[in-house]
Amino acid sequence: MQKWFSAFDDAIIQRQWRANPSRGRGGVSFTKEADPNVATGAPPRRPRVPRRACPWREPIRGRREARPGGRGAGGTPGETVRHCSAPEDPIFRFSSLHSYLFPGTIKSRDMSRKRHHLVPETFGVKRRRKRGLVESDPPRGEPGSARAAVSELMQLFPRGLFEDALPPIVLRSQVYSLVPDRTVADRQLKELQEQGEIRIVQLGFDLDAHGIIFTEDYRTRVCDCVLKACDGRPYAGAVQKFLASVLPACGDLSFQQEQMTQTFGFRDSEITHLVNAGVLTVRDAGSWWLAVPGAGRFIKYFVKGRQAVLGMVRKSKYRELLLSELLGRRAPAVVRLGLTYHVHDLIGAQLVDCISTTSGTLLRLPET
Amino acid sequence: MLGFLSARQTGLEDPLRLRRAESTRRVLGLELNKDRDVERIHGGGINTLDIEPVEGRYMLSGGSDGVIVLYDLENSSRQSYYTCKAVCSIGRDHPDVHRYSVETVQWYPHDTGMFTSSSFDKTLKVWDTNTLQTADVFNFEETVYSHHMSPVSTKHCLVAVGTRGPKVQLCDLKSGSCSHILQGHRQEILAVSWSPRHDYILATASADSRVKLWDVRRASGCLITLDQHNGKKSQAVESANTAHNGKVNGLCFTSDGLHLLTVGTDNRMRLWNSSNGENTLVNYGKVCNNSKKGLKFTVSCGCSSEFVFVPYGSTIAVYTVYSGEQITMLKGHYKTVDCCVFQSNFQELYSGSRDCNILAWVPSLYEPVPDDDETATKSQLNPAFEDAWSSSDEEG
Repeated sequence: MQKWFSAFDDAIIQRQWRANPSRGRGGVSFTKEADPNVATGAPPRRPRVPRRACPWREPIRGRREARPGGRGAGGTPGETVRHCSAPEDPIFRFSSLHSYLFPGTIKSRDMSRKRHHLVPETFGVKRRRKRGLVESDPPRGEPGSARAAVSELMQLFPRGLFEDALPPIVLRSQVYSLVPDRTVADRQLKELQEQGEIRIVQLGFDLDAHGIIFTEDYRTRVCDCVLKACDGRPYAGAVQKFLASVLPACGDLSFQQEQMTQTFGFRDSEITHLVNAGVLTVRDAGSWWLAVPGAGRFIKYFVKGRQAVLGMVRKSKYRELLLSELLGRRAPAVVRLGLTYHVHDLIGAQLVDCISTTSGTLLRLPET
Repeated sequence: MLGFLSARQTGLEDPLRLRRAESTRRVLGLELNKDRDVERIHGGGINTLDIEPVEGRYMLSGGSDGVIVLYDLENSSRQSYYTCKAVCSIGRDHPDVHRYSVETVQWYPHDTGMFTSSSFDKTLKVWDTNTLQTADVFNFEETVYSHHMSPVSTKHCLVAVGTRGPKVQLCDLKSGSCSHILQGHRQEILAVSWSPRHDYILATASADSRVKLWDVRRASGCLITLDQHNGKKSQAVESANTAHNGKVNGLCFTSDGLHLLTVGTDNRMRLWNSSNGENTLVNYGKVCNNSKKGLKFTVSCGCSSEFVFVPYGSTIAVYTVYSGEQITMLKGHYKTVDCCVFQSNFQELYSGSRDCNILAWVPSLYEPVPDDDETATKSQLNPAFEDAWSSSDEEG
């Protein structure tokens, strides 16, 4: 058994990565992590947590409705919120999460287990284990569901930064970092989308980056902000109509001309109003993406933050960094959304390789 | 293994189950073997490999130097150490050799008497294997990126050719001329592939991010343009459908022809249902693809869950086709890997790269495992079975 956690940071990291315990952690056993107080550095720092009292950070419960509605009024301005907050503390105290994500001893997962899983009808022969480090080998973790991952990631979103004008946005790549099997994650997200619980939105900077927003959040924020901003202006009506009729009916990312005009009865001028209000973005002649009004700031911070965090890994010696060290560093001022938020995204988008070592997870830039 | 054999003997299980289980096990154990080698003839990178479908014995390779080499893969020596020798080659001194790099070679699907090769010198040449002379040459206006002849068709001898122009040309071997043209793409065609299930179905991939499925008998255009978002099908939107967010570099049908795999320069690989063009949304993660021309990848055949072998930088990534799980990365080449082919009779993989080498990946055999490892690996295999396999000759 290793004693890794000589530092508070390591304890934080285990909390954060607990969601996917064996991702990037090959042959290392996790029994240590199941014990919350074994972190030698942890107990003295614990009392700090209650003092922060972030009212919008609540223990994750299974159902969204359990969250108190008071948060909707917009954070508490009086709280000291670090801009480059690595919001480790809220996750720290979610004891409910411990047992959910760490059911007892987790045996080391390596290629042999994957083989056995894959070919059940053969006589249990496994690929012979290579000596030495099994590199870049994402072992199968226990199946955390996409929904829990999305909820957890929503906690990382810094609401106060946007003064609650934006609904919390989570990226698809972040969900991949928590749910080990991508196809399963995709399917679960698609189900959630079909049930109408989440909306998937195209973020403009990369055709592959999809933002995930809870439908409720989207509706309330868009109602609040757009209608507040354009009271009396012509597009208030169009937006209301859009939110009322199109959103519940059509769960897609994009909308086509005939759909809008025939099925939902929008005139061209109304569609222009929607684009002006920021609810739709032009994709092609006659088709539009769903968009979040005011997401431009978020995208700007996100792209800059992503480049900055990647730069931190790139500038380190040998272009690799231990995850614990990365999260323990002071984030550059450019990183407004939080180091953890960006690290989830980098891992899920495979912009860094996650390698398990005896000192923890190592993030290394891929050679190609 | 003995359990499978006895079940097959007594008729409790289908004989195919044993074969598939054993093939899968062998594919999972692919690795470089010091006993197997392929003779190095090429002086430039190897762009294309093809193993003949009849016996799986002869392999053609085409290189950037314009040279085409024919290898014999069969191990007829009694020793385990074997180098696949080149039987013959069309070298730079041959009068009909291609002037520039050979992009695609393919055996004639029905026997080894003939093969076709296409190259950047804007020609498609049809060769007679025994005399190594060109039987026919097709000339085009643009460089040829890829060609393919239908592996199952007996009713036609059309070779689909993808060039730098946006039109797909179909050349008829019987008449010796281009029979017709398929229009619909907007930029160069990087890959073409006939369906192994239907005689007349062709898939083409282009740099304009689109993959189209055609029925070549139909005059009015393509059947389906694949759409990665699985949007609603409507005529007006056909133009906006893209299969990838970048150029589409490679195409491969699964061996039963029901699914189609495509790779693109957006570093994604997608699996499509070939009958209705639906994206199955299987996520393989990032499949690095920087190739400016076509990428030739391959699918295994005869295993219980099929595997796809994709060149990934200087390694080959192995994924399960239907679940998207990455099995392993086969490391061994020094430079970018351009092509790979799978020999389904012996479950071997051959790959060619820009370092002028062809590597043979062979299923690893059992070796006696020392006792201390035995307890550590929690093997469910009865130790008695371990010795039942002798590691003398991989042809067994």
